[in-house]
Amino acid sequence: MPISKRPPEAYAADQAAIDTQLAVRDMARSFGETRALDSATLTLRRGEIHALAGENGSGKSTLIKILSGVIRPDGGEFMFQGSRARFASPYAAQHAGISTVYQETLITPEMSVRDNIFFGTDGLIRHQRSKSQEISGAHLALDQLGLPGLDIDRPMWTLSLAERQLVTVARAIVRPWQVLILDEGTSALDAHRRDRLFAYLRDASSEGKSVLFTSHRMDEVFDLAQRITVLRNGTTVATVDVAESSYSDVLQHMSGREQAAALMEETNGGSGEVRSAPSALAQRPARSGEPVLRVSDVTLRASSQPMSIELKRGEILGIAGLEGQGQVELVEALCGLSRPRGGRVIVVDDAGRDHEISSYRDANRRGVRYVPRDRRQEGLFASQSVFDNFAIASWGELNRFGILKRGAARKRYQEYAEYTRLVGSPNQPVSTLSGGNQQKVLLGRWTSMHPTVLVLNDPLRGVDANTKEELYQFFRSLAAEGMALVFLSTEIGELLVLTDRIAVIHEGSMQALLPTAEATNGKIVAAMFGQNPEEES
Amino acid sequence: MTDIASGPAVRRLYGRSALSRVISVQTLPYLMVPVMFLLMVLTLSGFLSKSSVVSLLILASLLGLASLGQTLTIITGGVDLSIPSVIGLAEILITQKYADGWSLATIFLVLIGLSVVIGVINAMAPILLRVPALITTLGTGFVIQGIALAGSHGFTQGKVPAWLKTTVSPIGHTWFIPLPGIIVAWVILAALAISFLRFTRIGREGFANGANPLAAKLAGVRSTWVLIVVFTISALCASLVGVFFAGYSGLPDANVGQPYFFETITAVVIGGTSLLGGGGSYTRTVIGALIVAELTTLLVGVNFGVSAQEMFLGIAIVLLATIYGRQSDISTRI
Ligand SMILES: Nc1ncnc2c1ncn2[C@@H]1O[C@H](COP(=O)(O)OP(=O)(O)OP(=O)(O)O)[C@@H](O)[C@H]1O
Ligand SMILES: [Mg+2]
Repeated sequence: MPISKRPPEAYAADQAAIDTQLAVRDMARSFGETRALDSATLTLRRGEIHALAGENGSGKSTLIKILSGVIRPDGGEFMFQGSRARFASPYAAQHAGISTVYQETLITPEMSVRDNIFFGTDGLIRHQRSKSQEISGAHLALDQLGLPGLDIDRPMWTLSLAERQLVTVARAIVRPWQVLILDEGTSALDAHRRDRLFAYLRDASSEGKSVLFTSHRMDEVFDLAQRITVLRNGTTVATVDVAESSYSDVLQHMSGREQAAALMEETNGGSGEVRSAPSALAQRPARSGEPVLRVSDVTLRASSQPMSIELKRGEILGIAGLEGQGQVELVEALCGLSRPRGGRVIVVDDAGRDHEISSYRDANRRGVRYVPRDRRQEGLFASQSVFDNFAIASWGELNRFGILKRGAARKRYQEYAEYTRLVGSPNQPVSTLSGGNQQKVLLGRWTSMHPTVLVLNDPLRGVDANTKEELYQFFRSLAAEGMALVFLSTEIGELLVLTDRIAVIHEGSMQALLPTAEATNGKIVAAMFGQNPEEES
Repeated sequence: MTDIASGPAVRRLYGRSALSRVISVQTLPYLMVPVMFLLMVLTLSGFLSKSSVVSLLILASLLGLASLGQTLTIITGGVDLSIPSVIGLAEILITQKYADGWSLATIFLVLIGLSVVIGVINAMAPILLRVPALITTLGTGFVIQGIALAGSHGFTQGKVPAWLKTTVSPIGHTWFIPLPGIIVAWVILAALAISFLRFTRIGREGFANGANPLAAKLAGVRSTWVLIVVFTISALCASLVGVFFAGYSGLPDANVGQPYFFETITAVVIGGTSLLGGGGSYTRTVIGALIVAELTTLLVGVNFGVSAQEMFLGIAIVLLATIYGRQSDISTRI
C-alpha cells in the first residue's frame, strides 16, 4: 500500500508499535488437565519496568517460560519488536535479546561463579570470548549488582542463597539484552542488596531497555514498576498504572475477592482471629511459657560476643540481620547442623531436663525441626510426587515394623492441604507445582509432625500475599498450641507482624533483642547496621 | 474467532502427535516385550514350544535377579559394579565346597555372611572415602574377582546337588508348578522387591536419597542405613544368581558373572529407570530383563556371535535412552 494513502491513525499505530517492545495476546498453555495459562495479555513498552502480579499458580512463571522460549504456547499471539515471534529454545530468545532469570535459581553447584555466569554462551567447541573478556565481564556485572570483590573462581556451592541469586542475575545481564525478565529474582535478597539491584534496573530502563518482573511483595512492586499486569487463574484481569492504583486494588484483582483488602489491613495491624489448626496437628497440650530451647553464651564467630536467648513454648522468635551477618549460622546452630564456636544450645524436654544438642539427628529426635531456605537444593525431591515430598519425614513415625502406614499419612496430607489450600493432586510431580505451592509442601513436611521447636529459615519466600496471611495465621495457631518457632526472615514487616521478640544479628553478635511490641522498623534497621536501636529517633 | 496461532498447523508443530502420546517412556518398554516376542515367533522356526519359552524365561530370571540389587542401588543414587564378581565368587564357593563335602547349610550361611560384609563395605566406602559408588564398587569388584580366581586356581572339578540342577532346567518343576525353581523364585522376589520400594520406609527413603541427598539428610532420612540395606540386598541377589549358575554348569568358573557387568545396567536403563537416581521401579527392570533376554535369544537364534549381540545391546541402549531423554521436558525443571 502506498504510504501517501494511509490514514493518519496508521502513523499513531506505528508509533505505538515502535514504543512496544513485546506484546502477547490471549496466550494459552495447558499441562495435561491443568490449564496453567488461559488468556494472558501483556504489553511491555520500551524503557518500561513492568510488574507481573498474581497469586501462586496464577501462571506467571508459565507466561515467562513462553516468552523466554522454554516452553511453547498452545495458542495466542506473541509480538516481539514489531514482528511475530515464536522462540524454539531459550537460546533463540536470548539471541533475540530476551534475558531471563528463572524463579528457581538454576546453577551448577560444582562449577565456578565465572563458569556459571558464562555457561551456555559458548558454542560446542569454540569459546566465543576470551578468558580475560570473561573475567572482566563477570567483574563488571557483579559490580553493577553490588557484589564487588566476589571471587569468581569460587565454586557456586560456597555462596549464600542471596549471592547465588545475584549470580543468576549477572548471568542474564552479561548477555546483550533488550528485555530482562526476573521471575522472583529478588526473593532471597535483603533490603540493601535489593536497592542496589533496583538502581541497576532503573538505570537500564532509562537507556530504553525493558524489564518485566514478578514479586509477591507489594512494596517492591509499587516501588519499582511503572505498570502492573495482574494474572488470575491464567487470565489477565487488569493492567494498571502504579500512580493510579493502590496495594488493595492490586490484591483485589489478584484474588478476585473483596476481603483481600481487609486481609492486608489485618497484616498491618498485626491482629486477627487465630484459626485453630486441624486436629491431627494439635496433638500436644498447650503449655505456653515453659522454656524449650536455651541458647547459652553461644559465640558464632571468633570476634563475636556471646549471646543468650531463652525460647519458651508458644513463642515466636524473629531473627533479623543483613545478609551474611551470622543469622544463618545461628539458626543452623539451633538445629544442630553446625556447632557454635562457643557456648551451648540446650533443648529442655517435657520433664524439664536439659539436653545439649550434639547433631542434627539428635536435634530432630528431641523435637527440633528445620525448614531450609533453598527449597530446590535443600528441600525438594524434584522427581518425586507432592505426597512423597510431604510425607518423607513422617515415615519414621508412621510405620509398623518398617511398613508404611500410608492411610495415616494420606489423612495428614489431606488435612494440611485443605488447611493451607494447597492446590493440585498429591500424585503430580512436585516440580509441576507453582513455586508458592512447593513452599507449602515443604512447610507441611515438618509442621504436620508437630515439633517442639520449629526453626524456619526464610520460609515464606515466593508465597503470595494472601497465602502469606493465611500462613501467618497458621504459624500463630501452631504457637498457640505450644510450639516454639524461630523465624528468620529478610522482611522486617513480616517479623513485626508475626513474632513476639526479634533478635537482630550484626557481625556475628546479637545487636538487639527487642520485644516486638516495642520494636519499629527504624529500630530494627538501626540495629541491623550495628547501631543502638534505642538511639534511633 | 480462531486465531491462526492456535490452528491445526501450529498444533502439528507444537503439540504432540497421537502416536507419540501412545508410545512414551511409560509404555514403550511394555510394548517392546510382545513385539519382540512376535518377532521371535516369526523368525525362529519352532520357537513357539514350551521349552524354548521356558529357556527364555530362565535367561530373563538370571538377569532379572542380578539386576534386582542394581535397580535398588541405582534408585538410591549409587550403582553396584561388583555384582559380576560376587556372582563368580558364589559360584565357585558352592561348586568347590560342595565337592569338598561341606554341608549346604554351611555353604549358604557363609554366602549370606559374605554378602552382608560385601554389602556393608560397598555402602560405607563411598561415605567414608567420599568417592562415588561407581568407583568404590568397581574396586571391591576387582578385589572379590581376585579372591575368587585365586580360590578356584587349578580346580576344574566341582559338584552341585541334583535339585539345584533342576531349578535351572527348562523341564524342571517346582512343587506342583510346571516351571523351574528359578522362575518361581524370580516371581516371588520381584513381588517382594516391588513392595519393598513402594511400601517400606527404607524404600521411600532410598528414593529420597537418590533424588536429592542433601535434602534427604535435612528431612531426616537415614541415608547410611538405607545404603547398607540396599547394597546388602544387591550382594545377596548376586550370590543367589551365582548359586543358580552353579546349577547350570556344575563346574567352578569365577568368570560366569562377567557379562552382567553391563547387562544389569542395560536391563535397568532399558526398563526406563534413570541412572541419575530417585526414580524408576523394579517392575521396569523386569520388563528390561525380558527385553534383553529376548534380544539375546533372537540374535543367537539367527546365528549372531557374542560380539554382535553386545553391539546390538549397545545400540538398543543408546536408542532407548535417547527416546527417554527426549521426553523429560526441561520446562518442568526450571
Ligand atoms: N510442567 C507442569 N506440569 C503440570 N502443571 C504445571 C506445570 N508447570 C506449571 N504447572 C501448573 O500451572 C499452574 C501455573 O503455574 P506457574 O508456575 O506459572 O504459577 P506462578 O504464577 O508462577 O506461581 P508462583 O507465584 O507460585 O510462582 C500451576 O497450577 C502449576 O501447578
Ligand atoms: Mg512462579
